[in-house]
Amino acid sequence: MTEEMQYIGKIVGGGLKHGLAVRLNVPASEVQEGAFVIAEPSQGEWLFYGLVTDLELGATDPRFADEPIEKRFSETLSKALHGQTLYTNLEMLPALMMARGPDPSNKTEYDQWKKAIDAGLADEPRPVPVKTIPPHHSPVRLAQPGDIAEIFGKADKKGNFVIGYTREQGHPVVINLEKFVQRSSGVFGATGTGKSFLTRMVLAGLIHYNAASVLVFDMHNEYGLDDIASDTREKVTGLKTKFPAKVRVVGLGGGALIRGQTPDFNLEIPSYEIQPADIEMLTRELNLKETTPTTLEALVNTFGRKEWFRQFREMKSGAMVENEDGKRVPAPDSVDAWADSAGVNPMAARGLHSKLGRVFRAPYIQDKPAADGIKEIVKLLQAGQHVVLSFGKFESDLDYLLVSNILTRKIKQVWEEMTNEFRVEGKGEPRPLVIAVEEAHKLLNREMAAQTTFSTIARELRKYYVTLLIIDQRPSQIYDEVMSQLGTRISGWLGDDDDIRAVLSGLAGRDSLRGMLARLQPKEEVMMMGWGVPMPLPVRSRRYDDTFWEELLGKKGARRKSADDEIKELGY
Amino acid sequence: MAKESIKVGRLLRSGIQGFDAGFSSYQNPIPEFGTLVRAEIEPDFEVFGVIHNINVEDDGLVRQMVTTEQVDQRTVSDNRSNRNIPMEIGVLSVGYKKNGQIKHLLPPQIPQSMTTIFLCSDEEICAFTDAGRFGYFRHILRNQDLPVSEIIAAHFEQVSQAQAAGGNDQWKHQAIDKLISSLRDDYPTLMMVMDALSDVFPDWQAED
Repeated sequence: MTEEMQYIGKIVGGGLKHGLAVRLNVPASEVQEGAFVIAEPSQGEWLFYGLVTDLELGATDPRFADEPIEKRFSETLSKALHGQTLYTNLEMLPALMMARGPDPSNKTEYDQWKKAIDAGLADEPRPVPVKTIPPHHSPVRLAQPGDIAEIFGKADKKGNFVIGYTREQGHPVVINLEKFVQRSSGVFGATGTGKSFLTRMVLAGLIHYNAASVLVFDMHNEYGLDDIASDTREKVTGLKTKFPAKVRVVGLGGGALIRGQTPDFNLEIPSYEIQPADIEMLTRELNLKETTPTTLEALVNTFGRKEWFRQFREMKSGAMVENEDGKRVPAPDSVDAWADSAGVNPMAARGLHSKLGRVFRAPYIQDKPAADGIKEIVKLLQAGQHVVLSFGKFESDLDYLLVSNILTRKIKQVWEEMTNEFRVEGKGEPRPLVIAVEEAHKLLNREMAAQTTFSTIARELRKYYVTLLIIDQRPSQIYDEVMSQLGTRISGWLGDDDDIRAVLSGLAGRDSLRGMLARLQPKEEVMMMGWGVPMPLPVRSRRYDDTFWEELLGKKGARRKSADDEIKELGY
Repeated sequence: MAKESIKVGRLLRSGIQGFDAGFSSYQNPIPEFGTLVRAEIEPDFEVFGVIHNINVEDDGLVRQMVTTEQVDQRTVSDNRSNRNIPMEIGVLSVGYKKNGQIKHLLPPQIPQSMTTIFLCSDEEICAFTDAGRFGYFRHILRNQDLPVSEIIAAHFEQVSQAQAAGGNDQWKHQAIDKLISSLRDDYPTLMMVMDALSDVFPDWQAED
């Protein structure tokens, strides 16, 4: 405890369940909801770390609050009276406690304790979930940079990434990227709260610190190449611009351009990669009937897993010919003819054929693609590169669901194989992979979760080095089972009660945190919570600007310009 | 304000919580309500108290005279100076000094009759009110039958002047803080005390 540390109040009551009550001895305006505070009992083994979850005005007698004292007494008397009869109580949600060790002023005892730790005879103090409470009148203070570094980690330690700053004092708060990639995570917030910027920064951190390979399903073509912010109209730097050697931008469909620029390569999906499960996943999107699984199974039985899609696409719906008897019968290459031969209801088959028209016509599905884009993407990710798959003009939900599911299924398969080889045969450890999924509720809602590969990843693939980074504005639409598996959750302002409830699900003290989440600034304030962070904390998020890049890459890296800029500077 | 302690009367009755003393109406100075006095029990043991009451008892002669139509001014003066029954002050014990140590507790012994009562000097006021942490307030505040707010106001006026003369401008602030903390759960009493203090210090500013 150094002299410049100022106590803001003392513990006067409360408990673990409903939080601790702290009587403030500074004006209420000097403390804000969400502040990181520390209770330091004058005696005892523990320091207590917590979060301000509420501030409440009180009076020793309500009449002191009701009466306009300043009109009745002189300024000095009024001030003296207010100082003791009116007060502010702060509610502290205790989250962690840490053994403090002996007082350093008692040198002998302190040195012995330190020696025991250095010799491995005693444990290094580390924060643990709070199990007890500080005694009455324990002084409470706002966290200093050292406290935040102690709990969240030091900003200059490798693998720690500054995600933002404490709201009042601006002390840096970091996330540990190694821990971050060990479990799936989520970035949430209502529209316009800066989810995409925050995600860009997290991805930049992952790429820069080489914590994992990253695959981004970039539905709106925001992440790879430079973009223009929809609200400020300012230029937003793409990941490819700053990491040209590490990031590959892949465009969906042959010859696709992304924001007028040529991607590193194009992805065409071979028709043989499409499986019945990929179609079943589109049930809602295509309004498929309950007969679909039976029809699909019959198609696979007739043509095999690799050919069914192409064969079905080539069939003619409703084509009739006259037979030898002059009777009109289904043409041999018609859907009805196949349905008759396969014992499938012809109407169900015709209906499915008709509804799959949008898939049949998707130009990015080719029987013989120019290159095996899926394989190329997997290889890049295995090699530690990062891929931004831009959907270009294919921005419909159908395109997004279909392509992301096919690609992710393939990746899952490869990473499972690599992990098994690593565990059984002792081959190289697979590289962690983070798959960033925008509009995640479309893939991970209650209905879809059972059908897509994503829910399996969220629930199980942690063991296989693959995790998700979910970006969504409606977390309440995401299946509970998936939400409960998210390690780190970073949330901006949310206006809907159900969304707030979903983001806080499974967290201790969620009742206290609920109001805090609802009262975040609509921009540039986020709350970090979940397994990946030691305790929930609202932070002022970093700005995604030149300063961010300078701090991350150094001045040289931050000056790296996009090809467009360089061309412009040359006068073209 | 007394520079030295001055004899103001002699003890009539006493108890642990206070005592009464008699004095002549023609003596100078006449003790004032709210001031600090002391009664010497032994050379090194004295009881301190705050005057909470001053009264004049009647006698037979006064009773006869008050009904007379015309009373000569000389007769009035004679009655006042040569009356058989003295004027009385009621004193609330607020502490004592024994062997040079001041304590804000009720005295272990009581002063005997005819003990001389002195008005405290500025130095004695400062010494007594600076000792401890205003513990003597509780002896005043718990006497709800007395005009607590008026006693406090009169006492504050006397002591703050003595303390200011001694160079301690902070006494008043600290004393009021203590008063408020003692009374903050008793809204009616505290507001009465604050009203009385407002009358004593109507324009009190922080730097005063």
